[in-house]
Amino acid sequence: MASQILPLELIDRCIGSRIWVIMKGDREFTGTLLGFDDFVNMVLEDVTEYETTPEGKKETKLAQTLLNGNNICMLIPGSAGPDDN
Amino acid sequence: MDPSASGIQEPFDLIRLSLSERVFVKLRGDRELTGILHAYDGHMNLILSDVEETIMIVDTEGAPDGQGTVNVAKRRMEMLFVRGDGVILVSPPSRT
Amino acid sequence: MDDTPPPPSEQSPPPPPPATHTGSPTDFLKGVVGKRVIVRLTSGVDYRGILSCLDGYMNIALEQTEEHVNGVVTNRYGDAFIRGNNVLYISAAEVL
Repeated sequence: MASQILPLELIDRCIGSRIWVIMKGDREFTGTLLGFDDFVNMVLEDVTEYETTPEGKKETKLAQTLLNGNNICMLIPGSAGPDDN
Repeated sequence: MDPSASGIQEPFDLIRLSLSERVFVKLRGDRELTGILHAYDGHMNLILSDVEETIMIVDTEGAPDGQGTVNVAKRRMEMLFVRGDGVILVSPPSRT
Repeated sequence: MDDTPPPPSEQSPPPPPPATHTGSPTDFLKGVVGKRVIVRLTSGVDYRGILSCLDGYMNIALEQTEEHVNGVVTNRYGDAFIRGNNVLYISAAEVL
């Protein structure tokens, strides 16, 4: 039988690494994952926020940040984000 | 534990201390209210009296670069129930 | 049945002391109360102020609050209650 791994176990293994967070809207974040809870609220460090607005792309640097899990769509472990190809 | 020495332990204390006072309420849909706060609950449903509502209407038609003109509409209500899920922000009168 | 637990080995290290900072959301929030924060709503509006307190819904009480829209200060509040469902993130605006 294939070993089972829960989705959140995978995220738990990313603690301490860079992670790319894609929100439901036109917004993305990258940062070092410090922790998260059952709602997938996430604490990130050295964060960059990427916004796609009608005026173009916007980047914002942030220090330690608690990201509300409510609007998170996808998580990409180990990625430096949209600029990382 | 009272880091701010303001007597507030949880966010709702801010609202509790504003009962019978005039408050500013920011709502979804570019609406703003000021009124006397009579009652609230855990959803942030509110009862306000002597209310003035301000509605921002951005008119982008025929405006260049999306720089539309902002029209402000105001109206008054004697007594009002506000459904909590529309509330963005409540600011009590200054305590200073 | 026949598996008895191994005797305590002299080589096994003692259990690590409980981490004082595990990095969980709860720990972050404990550390950030009383500090300057940036609260961004899903609408993109920012509130900068001192975090008085918050609750499990991410309802927030802020002091000395400035409302920023597109980098411009649009309002100031002595105190502000922000309903948690609107919150996108809470970011530390000073060293923790």
